Amino acid sequence: MTDDKKADEDILRRAAIDRSTRLPVLFFFTSAAVWLTVAVILGFIQSVKFYYPGFLDAPWLFFLNYGRSNPAFMGALVYGWAIQAGIGVAIWLMARLCRAEVKNPMTLLVAGHFWNLGVLIGVVGIFAGYGTSMEWLAFPKAVWPILLGAYSLVVIWLITMFMRRESGEVYISVWYILGACFWFPWVYITANVFIHVLPGAAVAKAATNAWFLSSMIFLVLVPLGLASAYYFIPKILGRPVHSSQLSLIGFWGLAILGGWTGIQKLMGGPLPAWMPAVSGVALILILVPVLAIAINHHMTLRGNHKLVETSPTMRFTAVGALMFTVFCVLSALCAFFSLGKFTQISQTTTAFQLLAVYGFFTLTIFGAIYFIVPRLVGCEWISGSRIQMHFWFSTYGIVSLVGLHFIGGMWQAAAYAQFDAPLENAVSAGRPYAIGVSVAWASIAISNLIFLYHLGLMVLRLGRRGEGPALLGHQHHAA
Amino acid sequence: MPSFRNFVLALAATFLAPWLCLVVIPHAKMKAQEVQTWEDKELGTKSSYPAGTPNIFQQGQAVYAREGCASCHTQMIRPTYFGFESWRPGFGKEGTRDNPVRIRETRPGDFLGERFAYLGVQRVGPDLSNAGYRHDEQWHHAHLYSPQSKREFSVMPSFRHLYIKRKVRGQRSDDALSLSGELDPGAGFEVIPSEDARALVGYLMTLKKDQPLPPWLLDGEEEAEENAADGGEKSK
Repeated sequence: MTDDKKADEDILRRAAIDRSTRLPVLFFFTSAAVWLTVAVILGFIQSVKFYYPGFLDAPWLFFLNYGRSNPAFMGALVYGWAIQAGIGVAIWLMARLCRAEVKNPMTLLVAGHFWNLGVLIGVVGIFAGYGTSMEWLAFPKAVWPILLGAYSLVVIWLITMFMRRESGEVYISVWYILGACFWFPWVYITANVFIHVLPGAAVAKAATNAWFLSSMIFLVLVPLGLASAYYFIPKILGRPVHSSQLSLIGFWGLAILGGWTGIQKLMGGPLPAWMPAVSGVALILILVPVLAIAINHHMTLRGNHKLVETSPTMRFTAVGALMFTVFCVLSALCAFFSLGKFTQISQTTTAFQLLAVYGFFTLTIFGAIYFIVPRLVGCEWISGSRIQMHFWFSTYGIVSLVGLHFIGGMWQAAAYAQFDAPLENAVSAGRPYAIGVSVAWASIAISNLIFLYHLGLMVLRLGRRGEGPALLGHQHHAA
Repeated sequence: MPSFRNFVLALAATFLAPWLCLVVIPHAKMKAQEVQTWEDKELGTKSSYPAGTPNIFQQGQAVYAREGCASCHTQMIRPTYFGFESWRPGFGKEGTRDNPVRIRETRPGDFLGERFAYLGVQRVGPDLSNAGYRHDEQWHHAHLYSPQSKREFSVMPSFRHLYIKRKVRGQRSDDALSLSGELDPGAGFEVIPSEDARALVGYLMTLKKDQPLPPWLLDGEEEAEENAADGGEKSK
């Protein structure tokens, strides 16, 4: 009897904590989803512009030229969607895992508004001709303090929640979130100060840019994504993570090696040769923690693959986690000269970035959103088949997009390597693949329009009530 | 979990090493790059490396950056162990398909005085390290205005917005683009480059990242010492 009572209290307490996060988390999710929609539409436009510059080429639309729409799309995707949605998931996870309510959500809302303001100025600034043309730092120079300030507010809030936690035991997801809290400001300040503020050698700045991009993936997006995967896979299975030892190896391995990666992008470039070499080695060594993480997830999931078919959260998370492994293995392979010379400066770069940002991170976060939102708004997702469509269009889109960009990039680089063939061959070599990529973008865009609509209905509390959760393939049946 | 303080200290310790080695130290070291001068005794010429960049460079590079040229063009010729791109006709100043001439790979000194080294994201169009040798200004303007008029297969967008169409008053401007066919602005009108277009083309014309290197960089360490003793003179 007392046990039952305790369990009831537990559920009520958890519901209260969930409710306390409602405002900020929903704010981050919806504005991120809007940015995602902007990003995928821009993604489609820039993908067509890539091989057919005559597309949307009215004189007053000059700002849609590939050189501007490409960085704008990347900025909207990374800062507008990815990090913002990641913050939303981090707040919710932190509240739940530390059993700490969000007491004054205003700070988080203010931070969220500033973040969105920063991204908006950034994207519009690139279109208006104030972009810097640096990868993932293309926003006008004035934007970074706004983004940094907004993120710092969130970090302070997350750490306060951590300090107020109830029990002494700390779950591995919290480690990853604290890691991301710590790494993002350091990486972001370093990159912006060394590139925009301090005078210095142009080549060192280019190296810092390459390092920044990779650090953002391995030390910000990967921790946030893994925090989500480490929580939701065991949560939905109802069993603990296979091995906490492996979790630790994965975490510290990533912490030690993540900051060394990135400069292999400039192998053969005008830099001291040890810099790309060290980064390449780090990318290969990072396979050890990645293997630990992958084995851990796999062993946790073992024997329960059926849930991947029915639970939307499980399906998105599992596929995202798989893509993470694929991303790391491919990165390690391309850290070798023999393959890297074809992949470092071609469409393959885009393939890598999108594999990390969309294939791994975005899919994992979709999984989290499908779990979290019903608990915040008090109603269930309307239709399992809509989630099903979102999943298939997204997965089909990102897999074919990455595959086409990867092969197309290698093909084009190989054409450039044939030094005695005419320029025309080299320029047109990637074209068929680029056309295929546009089809993939269309698929991704469709999937996310469905998602935005579905999420919008949920936020307006127009979801289903009183029945079990929406499952894939079992529409409108209780679990 | 270790205490929060130890946890943060451990994170800082693990991150400090790559941060110092890949960011701070390279920045500190490369800033202090020296300009080296030497004299060729036989010819009696004085040279220095790196030679630096003219003023037009900064303005033009700003246009290069904001138009996102680096999304599709590299400024990075890789060494021969990465393939034979240094022999590609058009990447260097001379050489044809039948008689290729090697251009040297880009080196850190080639970027002296630049705000940022736009080494490039993808190589869709040709490498621009030595774009200054390839064409004259007229060609560049016509190409920027309508890339397909110069190369049918080009996937480069038009940069018409950097050009001004205006009525001819009195005499036709000297720098008006000579356009024909569809692009012809019509009788009584002309298309002239804006300040930005002039800066961009000026920048492209200065891209000559193949300045001669001091002999001690070319011939390996031992010979370099000999050369230095022979008359090459290192100075700041």
